[in-house]
Amino acid sequence: MATVSNRLKFTGDFNAQPENPHKHSPTHPEPYIISPELKKAVNLAIYLRRPLLLEGDAGCGKTRLASAVAYELGLPLYRWDVRSTTRALDGLYEYDAILRLHDVQTQKVAPLPIDESQTDEDEDEERLNHNPANPKHYRKFGALGKAFKLKDCPAVVLIDEIDKADLDFPNDLLTVLDEPWEFKIKETGETIRANHKPIVIITSNKEKGNLPAPFLRRCLYYYVDFPNEKKRLQEIVEKHYQVREETPPPSALVENAVERFLAVWNEGGLFKKPGTSEFLDWLKALHTFEPKPYNAAQLKKDKLLPYRELLFKLQQDWKKYAKTS
Amino acid sequence: MSSFNPQDLITRAFIRLRQSGFQLGVGELLAARQAVEGGFGETPEELAETLKILWCHSPSEQTQFDPIWESLPVNLNPKLPEKNPGQESKPEKHQQQEEKPQEKPSPPPSQETGTEIKSELELASLPIRAPFTPAETEDISTLQAYYPISRRSMIYSWRYLRRPVGDGPLNVLDVDATIEQTTRQGFYLAPVYRRQERNNAHLLLLLDQNGSMNPFHRFTRDLVETALYESSLQPEKVDVFYFHNVPAASVYKDLYLTEPIALQRVLAACDNQTSILIVSDAGAARGYRELKRIQATTSCLFKLNQYTSLIAWLNPMPEERWIGSSAEIIANLVPMYQMDNNGLSNAIDIVRGQPLQHLHSPLS
Repeated sequence: MATVSNRLKFTGDFNAQPENPHKHSPTHPEPYIISPELKKAVNLAIYLRRPLLLEGDAGCGKTRLASAVAYELGLPLYRWDVRSTTRALDGLYEYDAILRLHDVQTQKVAPLPIDESQTDEDEDEERLNHNPANPKHYRKFGALGKAFKLKDCPAVVLIDEIDKADLDFPNDLLTVLDEPWEFKIKETGETIRANHKPIVIITSNKEKGNLPAPFLRRCLYYYVDFPNEKKRLQEIVEKHYQVREETPPPSALVENAVERFLAVWNEGGLFKKPGTSEFLDWLKALHTFEPKPYNAAQLKKDKLLPYRELLFKLQQDWKKYAKTS
Repeated sequence: MSSFNPQDLITRAFIRLRQSGFQLGVGELLAARQAVEGGFGETPEELAETLKILWCHSPSEQTQFDPIWESLPVNLNPKLPEKNPGQESKPEKHQQQEEKPQEKPSPPPSQETGTEIKSELELASLPIRAPFTPAETEDISTLQAYYPISRRSMIYSWRYLRRPVGDGPLNVLDVDATIEQTTRQGFYLAPVYRRQERNNAHLLLLLDQNGSMNPFHRFTRDLVETALYESSLQPEKVDVFYFHNVPAASVYKDLYLTEPIALQRVLAACDNQTSILIVSDAGAARGYRELKRIQATTSCLFKLNQYTSLIAWLNPMPEERWIGSSAEIIANLVPMYQMDNNGLSNAIDIVRGQPLQHLHSPLS
């Protein structure tokens, strides 16, 4: 247990950023209020270097966690947004064979000798002069590939909305996120081995049913609940405005807004519950949309919620709260 | 805290969770041990939290975890230092059977498998309880859902039903062929395209509806939906027809059995490449053995056989229930599989015939 002191630890305090963060680390602090349980899950994932799978309703702050972690630890953050056509390979590297062919045609010069000193450093830099004789000039690393290439620190990799992808995607991903933590680039014959195992945070909305069991088994699992508590929501508001360095709304307004919002949220019967980000937008509208902030006492009395369009995104929900007036 | 032995507790919890249907492997056990070494399980509470994050992969698993964890001995020791020895011995015997032999003998485990321990903690003395019946905890997951085959695995299985034919529009850029051609010619003329590939497999689904099939409508519906919309089959190449008990001279286009269509007409659209999958319990659900049903099924299968030999039968009843019913006899006439992951995968292997060569030749 001697290693406890010098290993990476996430505390949830955005002022704790180290002196010289990595250049790919997020530059803006992330206002993230983290529960002790989630903090533990994050630290466990960092310690075991297993992917952390976050599930929960939209708008609970699953995606934001990765940048909060990366910012606080001063680690680079590579974000990989998964789409329906994404393959696991896309996160590792892309190879532009057509560009190479194009370069052969257009340059019309004798192949330059391979300059090894130029090839291995600064892989991510945009290269102006590609040398067709060097296959390495035509590979471009994806989020995971970049993380594997890092020499002096691990990276935080966010794999966002994994359930959007094809059925095989999680399984393909598994072969990379496991011992021996390496992959091959077939076009150049290179083997990329991770110097530091990346900290992988995966989010899922459970759109398309369950993820495969072998994949789940490898992951740490955490269900992100909506901060359904007056105090926590107020804390989120406070921190949010503190980080943005904006003047927060008057406390009476915040309090009443939180109360109204949670009442709506807990009443049930909503088809799509609004998330934290919707609440913050709504609060901002209450605060600054009109020249004068919305009257807090008025908000408490109002039968009809002001700026409903920020909270309800489905016709049924909209109608439900139009009728209660 | 001196008596707290996390490693031993992890192994116990691991075995117990696996018995309860958690999908955990040795890797997960090792990960938990590593986590404890890293200081993530100093107290029983912390350890429980750690294991929950590590081993539970859905909110429902997390709720199942708590009673199992509470039934483990360490949680009881600090609260109930003295226990009636008579109480302990009985469940312990039961536990001994379940545990793997390589597990080292540990301090007397006061094993309880029930969840009722919790309420008893408040009582001063332990009352005599009814003997432990394993059925109580055993069936939690089964009660939640009977799901022999998940939608996800249906989609997986359908993928194997394919007959790729490159007859689509000529619009797929073949990078490899382009480069190869260019290097061969020494100069670049034009990119090489190949035709888009399409799945040409034709599937005819015949589904038994109503009656004894009622409990399985959910699965047959999933089967149809996944075949139509989530497989690689082209929707117009999937024909779904319904029947009741036996596919007779006519089958039905809708699942309410109101739009009849002559089986002859259905078969007219079939050739020897058509895959036919029949889903029916074949009398196994009620255990009937009716000569009439067997005869009717036989003649129908004979008719189908004249068109294609790619026929398989999916039976939603488990295999051991076929014995003695008409299903047993029909299973001799046609490859019949029970409707689970393996069964569906086998049935699809049958109806797709032998695997076909891949058509990847670049067109020039």
